[in-house]
Amino acid sequence: MSPLLEIKDVEAGYGPFVVLHGVSLRVDRGEIVALVGPNGAGKTTTLKTIVGLTTLYRGRVVLDGRDVTREPPHARVGRGLALVPEGRGIFVPLTVLENLRLGAYSREARAKMDETLEMVFSVFPRLKERRNQIAGTLSGEESQMLAIGRALMSRPRVLLLDESSQGLAPKIVEELFEVFRRLNSEWGVTMLLVEQHVKRSLELANRAYVMESGRIVLEGESGELMRNEMLRKAYLVV
Amino acid sequence: MLPSPSLIVQSLVDGVFLGFLFSLVALGLSLVFGVMGFINFAHGDFLMASAYLVWVLASSLRTEPLATAALTVPLFFVVGAAVYFLVARPLLGREPLMQIAVTVGVGYVLQNVALMSFRAEPRASLSYALNTYFGLGPVSVHAAKLVAALMSFAIVVGLDYLLKRTWFGLAVRATAYDRETAMLMGVDVNKVYVAVFGLGIALTALASSLWMTFGQVDPYLGASFGLVSWIVIALGGLGGVPGILASSLIIGVVQSLTTNIVSPSVKMAAASVVFLLVLWFRPRGLFGKV
Repeated sequence: MSPLLEIKDVEAGYGPFVVLHGVSLRVDRGEIVALVGPNGAGKTTTLKTIVGLTTLYRGRVVLDGRDVTREPPHARVGRGLALVPEGRGIFVPLTVLENLRLGAYSREARAKMDETLEMVFSVFPRLKERRNQIAGTLSGEESQMLAIGRALMSRPRVLLLDESSQGLAPKIVEELFEVFRRLNSEWGVTMLLVEQHVKRSLELANRAYVMESGRIVLEGESGELMRNEMLRKAYLVV
Repeated sequence: MLPSPSLIVQSLVDGVFLGFLFSLVALGLSLVFGVMGFINFAHGDFLMASAYLVWVLASSLRTEPLATAALTVPLFFVVGAAVYFLVARPLLGREPLMQIAVTVGVGYVLQNVALMSFRAEPRASLSYALNTYFGLGPVSVHAAKLVAALMSFAIVVGLDYLLKRTWFGLAVRATAYDRETAMLMGVDVNKVYVAVFGLGIALTALASSLWMTFGQVDPYLGASFGLVSWIVIALGGLGGVPGILASSLIIGVVQSLTTNIVSPSVKMAAASVVFLLVLWFRPRGLFGKV
């Protein structure tokens, strides 16, 4: 089976600062893939490189067999990539509904907007209640729902999530992971997940990659990785 | 001696008319500043350049100054887009001082080209159709100024609608708040920048057509509009379109009162004094949260 998203031998960073030194990974259709590793390993840079927000020196980004390496971010979003950025990236002065509309900005998504909006409201009923509120008045948990709901508005083929559980209470994190599971099983959303909750994300994901200093150092089935001695020592202190 | 009440009322009315015209010019500048963080000190000089074009067209074609807008507005949109690529884009994200230096330079070039081509004496191409007065109680209303005010107001309200109720407006507001996240929404930020810059300059062309129905142009016309626009933006603060409108009217009235009661030569000084007072007591502008 050909992968839905693939990056090949990517060297990328910000201006003169190289962060990724030859990163390759792939996400198959319908999969949840986790990307874990310590702070500064290049996880966020990997996601940003996939959507085209970094300087790319070498390598390719392929979405569903199409090379999108030379395409600007907005074009990649139009082709079905959606990133929920670290820190959520909510448009604070706009209303909840305006934030969600922006998620459906691309042409195809716009045509299906009303339908998608109902689906997003069914997953996050709280957003429906607060749709006319200014987004800046939302709680942290609600902001995170908005950031994910907004990404879903684009009807993404691959959803990239960067530290979505950051700053949320443990109980809320659990709910959030349940939402990820539902989106994957009921909506068929393919996901690449960057997470600090390593154990939880390995339980959720089909496969995982471990990054360190801008390189992939370990990859495999989640279950297999959970039994890996090195990973257990580093992240899964029981 | 105290000024007569009728002079004061007359000045208030004229000031409000002038204020609406200011709002048209200031809104374009505030969009460019708000959306892409670009400081354009040549904004008023584009109005001056367009006013000369209005004068040339209106006097050679023997047409109404307002009718020339059909040509000047689209033309200046294109001019604005070109200026964006040649001047603004290389300076985006650079130090404000650099943007100021370059755009002041662009302004000087425009002023000196005008001086060379048209010399220093003021040119006018008054509207035949609108150059009439009618009485309204104690006030005499200049039809051209009334039309300029009404049209400015209509356009500003229309732009407010555009910003609040359309996909383009949504993209503009998203880009203004967070450029990178706007890209993640699928917004072509570069296109937004071109459109906003073109729109800003096109609005100066529209304002110049309205201005020329009753005013005149000399190479330094831009200074008053450009400076006034910056004062309006500072006063309007984060008030959006209503903030721009309110502060434009305040500056219009202040200038009109001082022109009629003291002397035309102190009107800029008066506007600056108001500016200083507001900065002193409400440093975030009249509508910003302190």
